[in-house]
Amino acid sequence: MQPIITINSLSKSYGDKQVLNNIHLEVYPGQVIGYIGPNGAGKSTTVKILTGVIQDYTGTVTVGGMDLRDNVLEIKKMIGYVPELAELYDLLTPREYLSFIGKLYHMQDNLIEERMTKMLDSFGLLPNIDQRMDSFSKGMRQKVLITSGLIHNPSIVILDEPLSGLDANAVILVKELLQRLKQEGKTIFYCSHMMDVVEKVSDHIILIDKGTIIANGTFSELRGSGTESLEQIFSKLTAADNLGEKADSFASAISNKNS
Amino acid sequence: MNKFLLFLVMLPKALWRSLGADIEQLKWILSVKLKMDDRKPLGFSRPQAQKKPSKYTSALTVVVTFFTGIVYIFPLFGFKDTMLALFAFYSMMLVLLSFMLIMDFSSVLVDTRDKLIIFTKPVNDKTIFLSRMLHILIYFMRIVLPMSLPAWIVWGILKGWKGVIWFPIPLILLVFICLFVVLGCYLLLLRLAKPEKFKDIIGYFQIAFSIIIFASYYLLPRATDNEMLQQMTATQYPWIRYVPSYWLAACWTWVEPSAAKLAGTQWLSIAAVLFPLAAMWVTIKMLAPSFIKRISAIDGVEVHVPNMKKVKKGGSKVYYWLANVLNTTNASKAGFMLTWLQTARSRTFKMRVYPSFAYIFVYFFYILLSDNRPFAEVWESLPQSGTYLLLLYLSSFAIMNAINFVTISEQYKAAWVYYSSPVATPGHILGGAFKAMWVKYYLPFFTAIAVFVIYIWGFSVVLDILLAMVNVTMFALCILRVGYRHLPFSLAEQIKTSGAKTIFRVIFVFALIGGLGIAHHLIHFWWLKLLFLVLSSIFLWLVWDSYHNTNWKSIRMAEDAL
Repeated sequence: MQPIITINSLSKSYGDKQVLNNIHLEVYPGQVIGYIGPNGAGKSTTVKILTGVIQDYTGTVTVGGMDLRDNVLEIKKMIGYVPELAELYDLLTPREYLSFIGKLYHMQDNLIEERMTKMLDSFGLLPNIDQRMDSFSKGMRQKVLITSGLIHNPSIVILDEPLSGLDANAVILVKELLQRLKQEGKTIFYCSHMMDVVEKVSDHIILIDKGTIIANGTFSELRGSGTESLEQIFSKLTAADNLGEKADSFASAISNKNS
Repeated sequence: MNKFLLFLVMLPKALWRSLGADIEQLKWILSVKLKMDDRKPLGFSRPQAQKKPSKYTSALTVVVTFFTGIVYIFPLFGFKDTMLALFAFYSMMLVLLSFMLIMDFSSVLVDTRDKLIIFTKPVNDKTIFLSRMLHILIYFMRIVLPMSLPAWIVWGILKGWKGVIWFPIPLILLVFICLFVVLGCYLLLLRLAKPEKFKDIIGYFQIAFSIIIFASYYLLPRATDNEMLQQMTATQYPWIRYVPSYWLAACWTWVEPSAAKLAGTQWLSIAAVLFPLAAMWVTIKMLAPSFIKRISAIDGVEVHVPNMKKVKKGGSKVYYWLANVLNTTNASKAGFMLTWLQTARSRTFKMRVYPSFAYIFVYFFYILLSDNRPFAEVWESLPQSGTYLLLLYLSSFAIMNAINFVTISEQYKAAWVYYSSPVATPGHILGGAFKAMWVKYYLPFFTAIAVFVIYIWGFSVVLDILLAMVNVTMFALCILRVGYRHLPFSLAEQIKTSGAKTIFRVIFVFALIGGLGIAHHLIHFWWLKLLFLVLSSIFLWLVWDSYHNTNWKSIRMAEDAL
């Protein structure tokens, strides 16, 4: 099987800081890739390159057999992206926002209407479809954002912290949804700090630190013969073993005993 | 209004399509942007503009813009030579519109806030560039239309129905010239400059460019002698044939071929049509590709690997020391420090405020030179004149501009911190912010002016300098106290009212401070000046006390009045 995403020697720097350092990666259709790493490791930069937001990088990125540099619009059509930080035009209503997004993908009005009604209804957001989103909670915005990333039925779905702000029921719903999307053959690129979820939903886990891939394999491959959780593996590989001491030091700064 | 303007800008669909835009996406992006402008919140604590923008405000904006337009009708009947009259009119409009474009609207072009929403979708560079350009054009037209109306009427009276029909054609060409040349320059800079540095470069470019435009507008040799104007003809100035505003004037030869005194004028009218088209072609076809790449790279600020040795304690910094020395409460120290740091780093603030310092000198020399005497003569007779008061009072323009913009921020939502902190008297934050602005911007600037004034006029004017300083400070505080009690960086910028607001601000501030300056000018005895200095200082103290003790209720009232 041909990989749907191939990343070769990908590097990117800001000034004298190297954010991505010679990344090599292959993702196959229907895979759920868990892309994890500490803050500032280069996860978001990779995602921004894949989605065509950052275009000045070195190395090659091929999606669906096309080079990203030469076919950026064609590749964008294949991708559905759910950014972190609930980035959306919150002065619009979900109906207005989703119609707008649908139109950017040249979707027909009735198809947009049909899909958004169904999708928002599943999220329990249909009664709010004509309310401006600036009064929405974080979780409500996240639901609209997930809908907007999937409304054009993309073959590759890139999710950056998709569960952020969602309540427990919505988290279960999204996790189920990921399984359904996978069954339909969609490729999912899942960036998160929530290790327990990544552990459960991913077929393949990539751990990135300081711009370099330091682990790449299935969860059982990463674990080897041990019984550690993904969180423990993450801590071990990213050299954050004195976390207990750090927490003590932090708490002591505001401790009443000191003042 | 917006729907109509959207309809207008989408009329040349075929043109936009031929330039590479996706029409459906273009229309959707524009309509969504306009819808959001209409719903834009006013500030942190006013998350939703519940009521529709009042008709009264919009009407007032139109009326003020219309009256500003009256200034531009004078060249139309000041010159006997029709070509020169139109040349002067178009030159003035060209300068003013470019100025507005640079100061108020260009930020729309290089906005990076929605990059994750739109740049990740299959929308090409040209569509995104055109959507931003047309977005600017829509707001631009809302100003150009009422502003050119007086001139249109005058032209109709002077030249009859043919004049009425002809008038809008060169005006549209003029708008396009401004738009494409200015935005084209931006795109060129975006290509040439290192993206991480782009915003800084553009900031300084804007400051420099606006000063040049402003200075050339006011300081270019002006002929105020009416008789001289009457006798002037285009043939005396053959170089004007190279200036785009003359090409626009040349379009009048379509109606009245005999009006052209300068050979080849009729041919130049073709240049008026071709120039904006060529500028459009170059801008969109050659400069707009890779727009997304460049714009995205702007945000990629240059990151340097942190150096642990460099981490210093905050206490060693000048601003920190000043904040502690000049403020008594912690809230005012916080207001002082935040304002000091934010104003040094916010590009928007620097772009809006820094040029005003230069304008003051431009205004000053403009007024000095307005009676058409040679510069050397004016300079020599300077010590005998009383113009130093003018310079001293003009300094108010800088502080007014600075305090006006210190409340506005792109990150206005971060103002939640004021509301969640246990601040009993928000006036302390306001007071700290005012002190920071005064110490950081006004004091050094005023000191420079004072040194210049003492150098020219001698030490005898020291009392005037002090009185002017107290008066200007008092005046600025009064304006704040009466109508502008907003927390620093807590209001969102409104593109809807940008251009008109600039005009409002200038007229209002100048009228009031002018009155104060004239009153000062009328005082001749030194003891009277001293008396006024004492009285003004007392009044300043009272206003300060009231402003410094502003409570939450007054802050909310000021927000409600927005």
